[in-house]
Formats: sequence, structure tokens, C-alpha cells
Amino acid sequence: MRKTLALVLVLCGLAASFSGLELRMRTMPRRKVPGAGILYIPSGKYVKYGTFGFSTLIADVVYLWAIQYYGNEEIADRYDSLLHIFGIISELDPRYVDPYEVGALIAAGDMRDLGLALEIFDLGFAKNPSQWIFPFEAGHYAAIAKDYPTARAYFKKAMDVPGAPAIAKRLYADTSFKAMDLQTSWETWLEVYNTAQDDQIRKIASNHLYQVKSVADIAALKAAAAKFKAASGRFPAEPGEIVRAGLLPALPKDYDGNDYVYDPATGEFRTGVIPWKR
Amino acid sequence: MTIKVIAVNTFKEAVRDRILYLLLFFAAAAILLSRVLAMLTVGDRMKIVKDVRLASISVFGALMAILIGTGLVYKEIEKRTIFTLISKPIRRYEFLLGKYFGLILTLAVMMASMGLIFLGLVLVETGVFEGRLLLALVYVFLELLLITAVAILFSCFSTPILSSLFSLGFYLIGHFSWSLEALAKKVQPGLGRTLLAVLSAVLPDLENFNIRTEVVHALPLPAAHLAYAAAYGILYTAFVLALAVLIFRRRDFV
Amino acid sequence: MSTILSIEGLRKTFSQGFIPRRKEILKGISFAVSEGEIFGYLGPNGAGKTTTIKCVLGLIFPDAGRIELCGRPHLDPRSKEKVGFLPENPYFYDHLTAREFLDFYGQLFGLAPAVRRERIRALLKLVDMERAADLSLRKYSRGMLQRVGLAQALINEPSLVVLDEPLGGLDPIGRKEVRDIILRMRDEGRTVVLSSHILQDIEMICDRVAILVGGLILSQGRLADLISEKILFTEIVLSGVGREELAALGEPLSALAGRTLLKVYDEARIPTVLDLVRDRKGSIHSLLSRTQTLEDLFVGMVKPQ
Repeated sequence: MRKTLALVLVLCGLAASFSGLELRMRTMPRRKVPGAGILYIPSGKYVKYGTFGFSTLIADVVYLWAIQYYGNEEIADRYDSLLHIFGIISELDPRYVDPYEVGALIAAGDMRDLGLALEIFDLGFAKNPSQWIFPFEAGHYAAIAKDYPTARAYFKKAMDVPGAPAIAKRLYADTSFKAMDLQTSWETWLEVYNTAQDDQIRKIASNHLYQVKSVADIAALKAAAAKFKAASGRFPAEPGEIVRAGLLPALPKDYDGNDYVYDPATGEFRTGVIPWKR
Repeated sequence: MTIKVIAVNTFKEAVRDRILYLLLFFAAAAILLSRVLAMLTVGDRMKIVKDVRLASISVFGALMAILIGTGLVYKEIEKRTIFTLISKPIRRYEFLLGKYFGLILTLAVMMASMGLIFLGLVLVETGVFEGRLLLALVYVFLELLLITAVAILFSCFSTPILSSLFSLGFYLIGHFSWSLEALAKKVQPGLGRTLLAVLSAVLPDLENFNIRTEVVHALPLPAAHLAYAAAYGILYTAFVLALAVLIFRRRDFV
Repeated sequence: MSTILSIEGLRKTFSQGFIPRRKEILKGISFAVSEGEIFGYLGPNGAGKTTTIKCVLGLIFPDAGRIELCGRPHLDPRSKEKVGFLPENPYFYDHLTAREFLDFYGQLFGLAPAVRRERIRALLKLVDMERAADLSLRKYSRGMLQRVGLAQALINEPSLVVLDEPLGGLDPIGRKEVRDIILRMRDEGRTVVLSSHILQDIEMICDRVAILVGGLILSQGRLADLISEKILFTEIVLSGVGREELAALGEPLSALAGRTLLKVYDEARIPTVLDLVRDRKGSIHSLLSRTQTLEDLFVGMVKPQ
């Protein structure tokens, strides 16, 4: 009996010591992320066949691991395989939305690689054509990077998905404007205005319409003034001279029917009001 | 002395087990085929090759330990060869430890074979001998010490199939303990959290022996970690063996 | 004559099954074995003979009782230094040859290599296994395994040899050989304890016996003391006398080819039978007296249970 008791005490002692060691080891900065072997899987397609129907579970595990992996600054070359890893997750569970978003976030935010982020969004959207969020966020990322033509292409995709929020359309219109496609911008804002459900949206739409028109009009006016100067050596004293010179059929008025303000010294036109403060 | 006699006898028996050579064959195949795998992936080929090879050795070593270890004690009891053994002037723990060391010796030979193939190939492919690879292998072996002890523990009281499953479970738990740790941090402070934290400290953390990523990616390997990991392995192994001795002590051999 | 094995008040109960069902196997056994004798431990199957032996050797832990082996408490490993054991239906390491197998056990006793070699040689000769000594045990027949097992039990030149059903499954020649080996062991000064349910063999070689039935020792002592020399009955095979006439003298049993087997219980009547046969001009074919055998004793004890 005594021997049994001694053994039990020894057991407790050993358990306490290795547990203590374990806790101590956790505090050590080594903490490399286990399972880095995932990098070496050639393609998600093959992994799927090996997971015996548990592919979504494995996707979860890989995703959890990936979050830790990418959060570990000690691994210098971790970004090399971003698309690969998230590709694998996508193969395993194409409908899992979070990984695409996080992958793109890492690509755009940490790696400053917009193209890669967009690639990930494209992948997500290809697998989930009903998820408007993918082109929607892609459009945002592109817009933040000031790549307006790309942004508006994405917002178009987003707004065409049934169930997409109305703001997608407005963003499309806005980025079209910023991409200097005034025609599309105008038409879209007009649609927004006409289909608006409440006054606030209508107001926003009308402000944008004002802005689009003003940009178009001012461009025309400015071009005319320049021609005037080229022909006569001076800027017109007042806008009417442009019409009298036959350079424009009539003076365009702003969206509210008011005149644009003219500065004879520079030949510049501007709006009488700030569009948002109408 | 008795322990040594039994260990040598166990070694002779284990070394003749065909399963070992089957697994050795597959390990060698895996080591060679990792070359092919490298061609499919992106990035530094040699890193991938080394990591996959080391991982193969680790996995196959564990399989050897489990498949042979879970039969060791069980077979003696089942086949009743244990009767003539225990009736001699030996203590029961001497029997257990003899079995354990016999299997360890066998595994050492197997690991040396796999390691030789591995290092030889790396030498041929890169022309460089990396001492750290050897270190990684040593720690794979340390992990095997623990897994063998677990296999023998289960072999004391359950059939080889169940024991293999339990040992495999131990192996999996050991490699996923980081998720338990992460979970414990996310739970609200309280009884649940304390329980999870205690569990995650007591359950085996086999990743402590996994220095493969550091070795392959040329990351720093603090000596403190190495020392702690070795101590952890030895303590946990001692714990499991002591548990086996305790269970085996008053067992009736009917 | 000192006691080499003493058992007092041994009890053992087993709990079997998922919902433990207790079964009391040994209900308080006591007996003692003296040095230099051949001791027979008898009982029907399931009586608890093997359980008793396993308790003695430390394979099973008794619930109660004291066992002293070679002057030491039985759980002390040193008590087994001079003990040899052959289990029932022996199994040995398949992958070893007889020689390697014996060498292994020799090593366990800490015997020097030269000593081992010499003893193995002698033992293989004793059990007549010299030719097969280098085949793996996997290839051995039952009888061969039994003989190797005997050799293994003797490797340490034990003072006490415990044999559990050593004669089971052997052909008559094998049984004679083993009996001879056992007798030789006694001549060499060893004590032998053997358990069996084959009574004829026990009767032939044992000095003392204990009879175990249902977990209790019903009888123990010198064989000669237990079995009386009294003649039970005489069997006479005769011809020429009719059954009706014989019926008065004894029990006519069978009549084959004109012969009758007559069982005569009363010794005094035998001359009368002989006279009768002579008168009738018949013939006596055989006359045999039957004394009590161990079997009679045994059956007499087991039947009432």
C-alpha cells in the first residue's frame, strides 16, 4: 500500500512539473505557428479528396491557422503563399465568406497589393455569384486606391446582383463620375433620383446631378472661353460674349437654372453654390 | 539487469515484426517522392522537401511506435507468455521498463535508418550537411519516446485496436493543443476558463518537440526552448511510465 | 523435513463482466508441502487449482491468506529464485528457438554464459529435444512445447518445481517420459508440486495429495493413508456355471461367449465359487482383486457436491 501511495505522489509531482514547464514554454517568444506544412499542399483540389467529406471542417481549421500564421511577424516570407492558402480554403469550402474578406484585407492592407486583393474577391465572387459583398468590397478597395475605372466596374457588378443594397448603384454612379464617365454618371444618378424612396436619397441624387451637370457645363464653357482668347487675345468680359461670338449656341445654366459664376481675369467658371449646400 | 535482458529480448522480437519494414518502406518512398512534390509547389524547393521529409519521418515513426507498442504488453498477456516471465524473480516494473526500452531501441534503429536516407539525400541534393537537421531528428525521437510510453500504457489494459485508437488520439490532441489554448483565452474569465486553462496545460503539447519549421526556415532556435522541451519530454514520459507501472502492479493475470 | 511451501487461509474472489458478478473461487485453502516430496494437487476442472498456483507465483493477488515460499513471503521476488514453473498449455515466444528461449530465461536468473550453455545442453538432453533445439518454437508440436517448458522450469536448478497439468494432451509414451522426469527430479532432491485431474498418473508418482473441490480442500495427506488397502471386491471371469447359481454368491455381470464376469464382494465366498466351478467342470479364466483407487476416493468426494 505504501508503495502505491508513493507512486501516486510521484505521479502528481511529475504532472505538476511538466504542466509548469508547459506554461513556462508558452511565454517564450518562439511561438512559431504549427502546421506550416499546409504551405506545401500543391492544390486545394487534392486536399479535398483526402478529407473524406470533412472539407468544410478542414477549411475552418486551415482558416484559423492562417489567421495565426499571417499574424506572426517572425515569418518573413509568409505573404508569398497568400493566394495559395486562401485558394486552398476556397477549394475546401467555397461558400465560406470570411476567408475571402480577410485574405483580401491582408493583401490590400499588409501587402499593399491591390491586384491580389481583387483576385481574391474575384475568386470569391466566382464561387458565390449571389454574394454582392465581394464586388462591393472590391470596389471600395479600388476606390481607396483611387483606381476609379476598376472601382466602378466592380460596383456595376455589385449592383447587378439581386438583393444588393441601393448604395451600390449610387457608388457606381459616383465612381463613374470620378472616372470621368459623365454620361453614365448622369444617367445613373437620374435613375437613382427617379426611383428614390425617400427625400434624403432624392436630395443626394439631385446634388450629384447638379455636380455632374456643372462639371460638363463648366468644361464646355471653359473650352469656349479658351477659344475666345485664342481668337481674340483676351478672355471674354462676360459670358454673353461667348454666345455672341458664336462659340456656343446658348449659355448653359446649372441644374437649378442659375448661371454659373465667371471670372474674366482667368476665364474660369464655377458654380454659384456648393453642390452639397443647395 | 533484468530490465536489460527483457529489453534485448523485446528488441529481437520487435525487429522481426514485418510491420516495421512495411512502414520503413513507405517512409523511404515518402522521402524520395517529396522531390516530386517540390516540383508542384511555389517557393523555395529545398525548404519544402526538407520539411515534408522530416514530417514523414515523424509520422511514420509515430505509427511504428503505436502499432508495435500497443501489442507489446497485450500480446504477452493474451498469449500467456507472461506467466513464465512473472513467475521468475523479477518485479513487474522491471518487465514493463524492459519492454519499453526494447521498443525504444528498435525505434532508434528505425529512425537512424530513415534519418540516414534523409540526410544522405539532402547531402546529395544540396552538397551541404546541416547539423540542425540532425537536431530536428533528435527532437522527433524525443516525441517518439513519449508516444511509445503512451502506447505501452494502453497496451497494459486494452486490445491493440483500442490502444492504437487511444494512442492516435493522444497524438492528435498533442498536436492541436494550441487550439485549446486559444479557446481558453477567448472564454469569459470564470470556472470554464480556468478549467480549459488547466486542461490545456496538462494535456500533452507535442508541438514543443516540433522544431522542424525553425530548422527548415533557418529561424533562430533559443537554447532555452530546446532545454525546456527536452525536460518536458522526459518528465511527461516518466509520468506515463509511472502510470503504467501503477496500473500493472496489482493486475491479476487470469 | 522442512516446509518449502505453506498456504494458509487463501481466499480469492473474482468479479467478472461489465456489471461485476462476484464469483468466489478459493474459499479458504490451507496446505503445506514438505521438502523432497512429490505433492499432488487434485481437483475437478474449475475447482481452483490453477488459481491457487497463480496466487503462489504472484500472478494473481489473493484477497486473504498467507503464502510462504522457500522461507520467504511469496511476494518477495527472491522467494522465486529457486522455483521453476510450467503453466498449463504453455505458450512461448514464437520467434525464438528452444536454445535461445532457454538462454533468455537463464539470463533472467543472472546465470553466467558458460553456466547457461552447460545447463541448456544437459536440459535439452534430459527432455530429448536436442535435435529440434535450433528450430523456432513456432514449429513445435504440443508435446515438444511441453518438453521445452519442462526444461525452462529447470533452468535455475530449482528446489521447488510447480507443474500445472503437466501431462495434459500427451500420448501415453509422452506421459511416461514426463513421469520419469518428475521421479528423477525427486531423486535429485527437488520438491515437485503438480496439479492434475488425471488420477492414474498422480497415483503412480505422488507421495502426498490434497483434493480441492469447489474451492475447498476436502482431504489431504499421504496417499497411502488416504486409500485403504482393503479389498473392495474380486472379479472372477468363469465359464460353465449358470447365472442363477452364481447370483447367490455375487453379482454376475456380463455373459460373453459363454463367459461370465462375477463380482464377489465377500472374500469368504471365493473358495465357494472356485469349488462350484470345479464341480461343474467349468473354467476360471481370470481372478482379480480390486482395492480402492484414488478414483474411487475422488469420485466419492466429488459426487455429493
